[in-house]
Amino acid sequence: MRKFLTFLSFFPIFIFLWGAFPSARVEGSDGVVGVEICKGCHEGHYNSYLKSTHAKKAIPNSPASKDGCETCHGPGAAHVEKSGERGVGIFIFSKKIADATAKSSKCLSCHGDTRDLSSWDLAKHKSVGVSCDNCHTVHSGARKNLKAAQPDLCNICHRSIRAQENKQSHHPIREGKIKCTDCHDHHGGFGQHMVKADSMNELCYSCHAEKRGPYMWQHPPVEENCLNCHTPHGSNISKLLTMRMPQLCQSCHDSTRHPGTIYSRFETFQGATPSNKMFARACLNCHSTIHGSNAPSARGRTHVR
Amino acid sequence: MNSKIFTFVVILSMIASANALAQERKLEGEISVTGVAPKIEGQKAKFNEYRDIRDGVYAGVDLRYDAEKYYLDFKAEDVGYKTQKYGLEGGKWGSFKYRFDYNEIPHNFTYGAKSFYTGIGGANLTYPTQPPSTNISTWTTFDYSVERTNYGGGIKLDMLKPFYFDVSFNKDQRKGIYPFGAAGTTPGGLAVELPAPIDFVTDNLKLEAGYAKNPFSFSLGYFYSEFRNNNGSLNFRDPATVNTAATTDSLTLPPNNSYYKLEFKGAVKLPLNSKFNANLATSSAQSSGNLFDSYVADVTAATSNIGVQGRTGVILSGRVFNGKVDTQNYDFLLTSSPLYFLDGKIFYKYYNTSNRSDQITTTDSSALPATFTNDLFDYRKEKYGAELGFKLPASFYLTTAYTRVQTHRTVREDIPNNDDDIYGIDLRWSGLDFMVAKVGYQRLQRRGDFEWPTVTDPTDVNNIEQFVRRFDVAPRDRDTYKAAVDFFPLENLNFSLGYKYKDTNYKDTILGLRSDKRSEFTIDGDYLIAKRVRLFAYFDYEYVKLDQFERQLPSPTTSYNPALPPTSTAFNWTVNQTETNYGYGLGADIYIIPQKLTLKLQHNSFKSDGFADYTYLRNFAAADGSRTQDNIDINNWGSYETRYYLAKVIYGVTKSLSLSAGYAYEKYIYDDAQYNGYSYLPTSATGATLGYLTGAYNAPSYEAHVVFLGVAFRF
Repeated sequence: MRKFLTFLSFFPIFIFLWGAFPSARVEGSDGVVGVEICKGCHEGHYNSYLKSTHAKKAIPNSPASKDGCETCHGPGAAHVEKSGERGVGIFIFSKKIADATAKSSKCLSCHGDTRDLSSWDLAKHKSVGVSCDNCHTVHSGARKNLKAAQPDLCNICHRSIRAQENKQSHHPIREGKIKCTDCHDHHGGFGQHMVKADSMNELCYSCHAEKRGPYMWQHPPVEENCLNCHTPHGSNISKLLTMRMPQLCQSCHDSTRHPGTIYSRFETFQGATPSNKMFARACLNCHSTIHGSNAPSARGRTHVR
Repeated sequence: MNSKIFTFVVILSMIASANALAQERKLEGEISVTGVAPKIEGQKAKFNEYRDIRDGVYAGVDLRYDAEKYYLDFKAEDVGYKTQKYGLEGGKWGSFKYRFDYNEIPHNFTYGAKSFYTGIGGANLTYPTQPPSTNISTWTTFDYSVERTNYGGGIKLDMLKPFYFDVSFNKDQRKGIYPFGAAGTTPGGLAVELPAPIDFVTDNLKLEAGYAKNPFSFSLGYFYSEFRNNNGSLNFRDPATVNTAATTDSLTLPPNNSYYKLEFKGAVKLPLNSKFNANLATSSAQSSGNLFDSYVADVTAATSNIGVQGRTGVILSGRVFNGKVDTQNYDFLLTSSPLYFLDGKIFYKYYNTSNRSDQITTTDSSALPATFTNDLFDYRKEKYGAELGFKLPASFYLTTAYTRVQTHRTVREDIPNNDDDIYGIDLRWSGLDFMVAKVGYQRLQRRGDFEWPTVTDPTDVNNIEQFVRRFDVAPRDRDTYKAAVDFFPLENLNFSLGYKYKDTNYKDTILGLRSDKRSEFTIDGDYLIAKRVRLFAYFDYEYVKLDQFERQLPSPTTSYNPALPPTSTAFNWTVNQTETNYGYGLGADIYIIPQKLTLKLQHNSFKSDGFADYTYLRNFAAADGSRTQDNIDINNWGSYETRYYLAKVIYGVTKSLSLSAGYAYEKYIYDDAQYNGYSYLPTSATGATLGYLTGAYNAPSYEAHVVFLGVAFRF
């Protein structure tokens, strides 16, 4: 709390800074040639632009309500004077020429004032060189102008995540029932791994509210981080577990009797000495309330009720 | 209910968009109908884990209405099926947006499970006579499956820009049956698999008001969530007991809870191309439950005793448990690009949970110790660090990062404190027009303050604590190396390679997980040939190796120290688990007659080989039977393979009308030592009953052929 109050004391500085710095520089209109000139050479691009929301004059601050093509590509006079040579005298979004920061700053000059992009500076995407046009196509009729649907769009770069989504235990991502952006704030945020929460557990509880408790008998690793035992994108092990049972539990619970006992092929259904600590759901055959229990007595404490 | 909601939604949307009718407008979209005929052999639940593919006709609608100022989109998928999904979104550009969603998600675990219990699906499981029938053919057949229905809506108001206001709500309902387990007798008794009811409802409300205009943006948000479980406990007749009462035992199910969060987020632009960001949040989760509602004494309780405190066996200091965990989170982050070649970021995060739940003291004559109190676990994390990015000559970009994380836990007696140092360096090169190359390295060094309880009795089980390091908090060194190259030599050709190696060494661990090594390799390619054929392929490889060192002990014992010479009952053992995963996909889109006739071909495969290598660190004795160091290993440790083939032809009859037809094949083969030879009534080597199982997750393999024929109308 003391740290919070310390932070609050900085608020007068916030207030002082209010308005102390001017808004982002507004491009002037010098050298603007108008959309008809652009259309003359780039009719295909112009027609695709017309299908996009950018072409709607009714939208305040849209390119159509300003300088059309030149709102994003810059004034075209110099480009026209140099016979329209590719990339000369004009800003183009080709990945081979413009750098990510320059491309994104073009978009942010309008979209930076929106709530969705106010945290772009925090985004890992920004720091690794992703620009808006990696995911969005500026000339298109699709809503949000995405180049592909999720998860395919995200998997173009996040290939190891694709490999996990293909595992037998997975969230319904590839079935289209959960999107990457349900959990991740692709435009930046404060959460680790760009998740839409202050902690992993807060994120998981947003769908799995039954795990929230609070319980009388807690399981501390569970309370601290669901990812101690689960992996979110996919696993070879049911329930998105990071390790098979009983090994997962035995990694922590080594003691007398069954926690420390070796359970091998001999303890499976087909083994010589089957054990209910090994076959089927192993530890979960008895300890089903590992996320927490309100059962009184030692049976709640050991998560068997 | 669904139809009422959506009728209401459609009417509301039309009213909201009424002004749009007076303007130039455009309605476009697609209506599709696809007939599907699947033939599925094996476990249909796994095939349809999150799907609902069966004989029938699947309809989809995608409507898009555009006016100069207004828009309205409507989408419907799988109408009438368990995967049906509807979405309606509209609004006035720059002024307001609204949306309504309805989404059904099935989660099927196992069809055709069996149990001797009656009352399956409810909270009271019983059977007529003790002991339960062992004739499995007389047991009740049921499905382990949960159906989730999520619906809600929201509105975002932007008409008072730069101020904005959002409100949204959603309701999440889950109904079904899920496998729970209970020990018939404790400790170490037989296992009873119980079909537990899932009947959850969660209501969520979110409000946010904010301001966004350079140089400022800030918002104040409130989130409230309420979870209700219509079954607080699962009462069941326990086949391990010999009494004749109809209900003999009880298992707690998740309690009702509520949660709220109040959050402030703000950012201000500063000189030198800098921005200061803050996130301040406080939240609280609460639950409440009458403890005796979920307690029935093991053997002797009569119905009249239920809920009576102080009866045989257990005395509690309170009948009601009130759970409450408060959380505070503060993030401060400064980003800056003061020079054209320099990007910087410094950050601080404080996250603290305070467990203010009730502490209940229990006196349980059957437990050891007989009197104990629930601990209140909470923790605090402080994280701070910096990241610097440099634009270097020759198109290099170098990023260096340092993060320190300090964690303090209460009631975590083994390792209450951790200090993490995380160093990272990444180098990106984009010096050629046709490729980008990246390499990176990260090192994590985790230290922990290790403690163990003081014990005077050499037979006390707590003696082993001095040797155990639990992997979630154990000190470790972790090195991560990664490299990636993306080639795009032609406008229509992309090719990528990626590699990652992660090596975690739990350096202080004596008993527990000692090492975790993972490597992965990916290849991707995409090539469009003469605008007539698009080829794409990927290959993923992953190898995981986990090494664990443990100790088996009798009870009671004085042999806790793993350095002691092994005996037949007190000895060390190891298990090295490996996973080798291969996945690949090949595909082609062949535009036989451009815009008219397209053939799509696709093949995906995923294979995982799991292996567990066990070692007894002692010689085998006669009592071990025929065990050797080799025949105890498991070479089908959750191994499986998935194969998928698709052939699809799309014919454009006209610009608006297209027909499609195709065939898909999917095969899933699961091979796991923990399920092979499954028995509903497993017995020990001496014939003792080890459990009453229901078949949950058993035999998930399947093979499916799906033929489909569709028509789509575009307008």
